[in-house]
Amino acid sequence: MNNLYQQKHELWLHIAFTSFAIADETIKSRLYDLSQIAFRHMKWIGSELLLAGENYNYDREMQLCKKESLFELVEDLKKRVEEIQSHYPHTRLGSRCRSDDGYLLEYLSSLLADPQNNHPITAYNRVCIYGEKNLTKEQIDALTLFLFEESYKEYELVLVYAYMQARTDDVLQFSVFEDLIAESHFHLKSFGNMMAKLGILALPRELHEMSYVIKDLEKFVRDGIAEEEAAKEMCRELSSKIKDEELSKFFDFINEQESYHIALMQKLLERDIHNEAAMTNLDFDEFWSGVDI
Amino acid sequence: MIENIQIPEGMNPEVLEHLMNPQNYGKLENPSGVGVALDEKSGEYVIFYIQTDGKIINDLRFATNGCQDTVVVGSMFTQMIKGDAIEYAQTSIQKLNQKLGGASPQQQICADMVLSAFVAAMQNYENLQNGKTEEMHVLKMKESCDNE
Repeated sequence: MNNLYQQKHELWLHIAFTSFAIADETIKSRLYDLSQIAFRHMKWIGSELLLAGENYNYDREMQLCKKESLFELVEDLKKRVEEIQSHYPHTRLGSRCRSDDGYLLEYLSSLLADPQNNHPITAYNRVCIYGEKNLTKEQIDALTLFLFEESYKEYELVLVYAYMQARTDDVLQFSVFEDLIAESHFHLKSFGNMMAKLGILALPRELHEMSYVIKDLEKFVRDGIAEEEAAKEMCRELSSKIKDEELSKFFDFINEQESYHIALMQKLLERDIHNEAAMTNLDFDEFWSGVDI
Repeated sequence: MIENIQIPEGMNPEVLEHLMNPQNYGKLENPSGVGVALDEKSGEYVIFYIQTDGKIINDLRFATNGCQDTVVVGSMFTQMIKGDAIEYAQTSIQKLNQKLGGASPQQQICADMVLSAFVAAMQNYENLQNGKTEEMHVLKMKESCDNE
């Protein structure tokens, strides 16, 4: 089952990153919605594993499919969706996954049926030019570093919050994690699309257990607040460095969202978060045993 | 080799390549040694896995929750010492440290974390060879990125 979890994790990323790579807004948006469904499948598969007393991790073995045309990308994605079908269990969740994937496959086939949908893919060409904007090399470099830094962080946050959400019975924690996951998805999508526009689209690197098996929730939340503060600062710096009205407005908008993430996390701190009884912290002790810290 | 390594200053095609495709990133099955460099203040870490026969570093991996400078240095450093003698790898740390003289304080801290994690992995290998039971060797960092 953990194998299925990993395959679903990889498929979610494949659909999302195919969506980022495609410039056509209608196809991009439709594929992104379908990637979100794949993410929910992944969460549900994870929940079933936990209910069955099993566990899962965020290991991956995937390379981003870098193709030069939309049809090649879609063909590759289609193959990956077809490959996972035989791995779904014969359960209600398995049926749901097969049904959703069937719809996705039909959509992909419909794209391939119309030659007008085929366009060159420029998401990986490393031209480092942001659309029509006349940004200096220094501005492009700052934007590039920011996007690599933050796309990884948002991916990490999506997965860390999802890991913790799956292991709490506490309503406030569940709700805060749900909001933070949704917010991080939006940021990941925004940054992924910007990376594609610059021709530098790349997968965020894989998460190690040390990043998502949380030993101390309070410390995690406090570190999370510090990270949000750092992200706000990066947004502010980038916004002032870029000197482009449209981009600066966007980074100010992201900055303001980070402020509210801090407020959400503070809600957790204000509550008695020492009550770790609510967190069924799986095998933290086992994981950290032998670690000399 | 080590003499040719450039600590990244700004963006260039080589740095972009390491950002888009970090080399030797992830975990290693059945490693001979595992080391962690931990910045307790910021919560950042680098974990380093090595596979060695005691003479040559046959394989290695690293992972981190740190910044892109850490990823780039980790990717470059692992690429540089993979397949080389342990002795060479240990010398290379010293040389790399000398080169870091020109890097920004933050880059120095990032690089130091990568090198410390490698040293910790080597220490873990030695400890295991000497019969000690230790899942991984952890070195706590004295300097923190948070000081910036």
